[in-house]
Amino acid sequence: MVKKYRNFKEVGDAVVIYSDNYINDIEGEKLEDLCASYMERGFTSIVIDFSETDLVNSIGVSILIGIIEKVRDCKARIAFSGLKRVNYDIFSIVGLTKHIEIFDTEEDAVNGRVPQEMVTS
Amino acid sequence: MLQTELSLEKLLFNLNTLAELGEEITSPKDFTRVVKSSLYMVMGSFSATKGVIFQFDQDRGVFAPIASKGLGDVGGAFIRLGKEAVAALTKHNKPIDLKKGDHPSEVLGQAAELLEKLDSRMLACLVVKDELLGFIAINGKFSGEDYSVYDCQLLSVMAQHISFSLHSHMLLMKLMHKYNENKGLYENLRRIYYDTIHAFAASIDAKDSYTRGHSHRVSAYSAVLAREMGWPNEDVEGIRIAGLLHDIGKIAVDKTIINKASPLTSYECRELNSHPVVGYEILSKIKFPWKGIPMMTRNHHEKVDGSGYPDRLKKSDIPLGARIMALVDAFDAMTTDRPYRPRLSFGEAMDEVKANFNKQFDPDVVQPFITVIRKEVRREVDNPTIVPLLQEQLDSVSLNRMLEGFPVA
Repeated sequence: MVKKYRNFKEVGDAVVIYSDNYINDIEGEKLEDLCASYMERGFTSIVIDFSETDLVNSIGVSILIGIIEKVRDCKARIAFSGLKRVNYDIFSIVGLTKHIEIFDTEEDAVNGRVPQEMVTS
Repeated sequence: MLQTELSLEKLLFNLNTLAELGEEITSPKDFTRVVKSSLYMVMGSFSATKGVIFQFDQDRGVFAPIASKGLGDVGGAFIRLGKEAVAALTKHNKPIDLKKGDHPSEVLGQAAELLEKLDSRMLACLVVKDELLGFIAINGKFSGEDYSVYDCQLLSVMAQHISFSLHSHMLLMKLMHKYNENKGLYENLRRIYYDTIHAFAASIDAKDSYTRGHSHRVSAYSAVLAREMGWPNEDVEGIRIAGLLHDIGKIAVDKTIINKASPLTSYECRELNSHPVVGYEILSKIKFPWKGIPMMTRNHHEKVDGSGYPDRLKKSDIPLGARIMALVDAFDAMTTDRPYRPRLSFGEAMDEVKANFNKQFDPDVVQPFITVIRKEVRREVDNPTIVPLLQEQLDSVSLNRMLEGFPVA
């Protein structure tokens, strides 16, 4: 069953969250709150889609790392999709690309299998 | 991405972060928010998952956490450092790798244990003008990579930015502290000042058992009348003080004269009538923050027809404050018991005012006085001042009757 809202879409036990144009502290905190509430509700797969995001700054990176840590602490899965080149480069610079599943589309991210090393890391 | 491209991208990302950090620390946002954002910027730049900023709390002599991320509640994580440790950290302007035991991490003592509990890897001191204001502690990178020399240089620059923000905030806090301290001292002085004036008023009234509270009533009546006449707050406060002190010259008059029930001799009359001038001489030596107090005191027994004392001034030559006080002083004298006669009723007192309209009392003052009484009787004011102090009940019907035929100014 798929439920689509303005900023997120629920697909079974997965949720796709659409991040805003610019992830600074305020937007980052909204994302953090949204992810936390889905984990509390028992969703086991979080996909953040960055298709509409033009820029992630260092505060945004810090918040995204915090989200990744919390999702993993809950033994849930997190994946990114729709990254623009500039954002992919930023994630590369800070080393995130080596530690997170990144897909071209949200569909791939929702359906993508979690590599074994990710679950246990 | 090629290594050279990555380096260029990294350089641009870090430059952008430094620009944003500069903007953040000079923004008018709430300080807590600025510090939090600054910490997030540092952590984002190095993909650190845990971080904390400590600030030196001068009151408690400890370094207290003012922002943290990824560490849960660190509210109780205080760090105490000895003088030597503070001196060593102040001199050291490079980030310290705690894992590698970089110098001068050996001076941290027990603080090192706490930082280890917080999973801290890098420590950057926040120093301005040889003063250790605090430090930033962050853990290892999320990516697992080691901190490079370049990372240390970047962390050092970011720490300098945050130091300036912290320094400005601490200066502002010191300034606020001083301001509040001075404000408190000023309030104390102001209270002492008022208490002294009230004590003077009480001592004046104490000379005559019949006039107990007279100065306070003249003060309150004058203030409410001045306010009705549109005086600014500062001047209303001035006439309130003048009302309290208007009879201060009576201190120099023999108590037996003040309390004498029989008619006064000419000598006694001269003695009693000297009190406005004596009061003026006392008060003119005091530098009041309000204008006109000595003259209001001197001229509160003048009459608009020029038959008053001590200067026999006519209407426009008498200060307006003194004309206000002349009316309320006489009104209170009439409506309270005296050694030589019982009090007059409000109606009788107003008859006297009517009889002396434009002779003793200024019409420009009598009319607003009547307005105040009417407003108070009709309960049009929140805090009535005059009517509650009269020893009789007044209603609108009887008031209209009493004020009938009052001359128009």
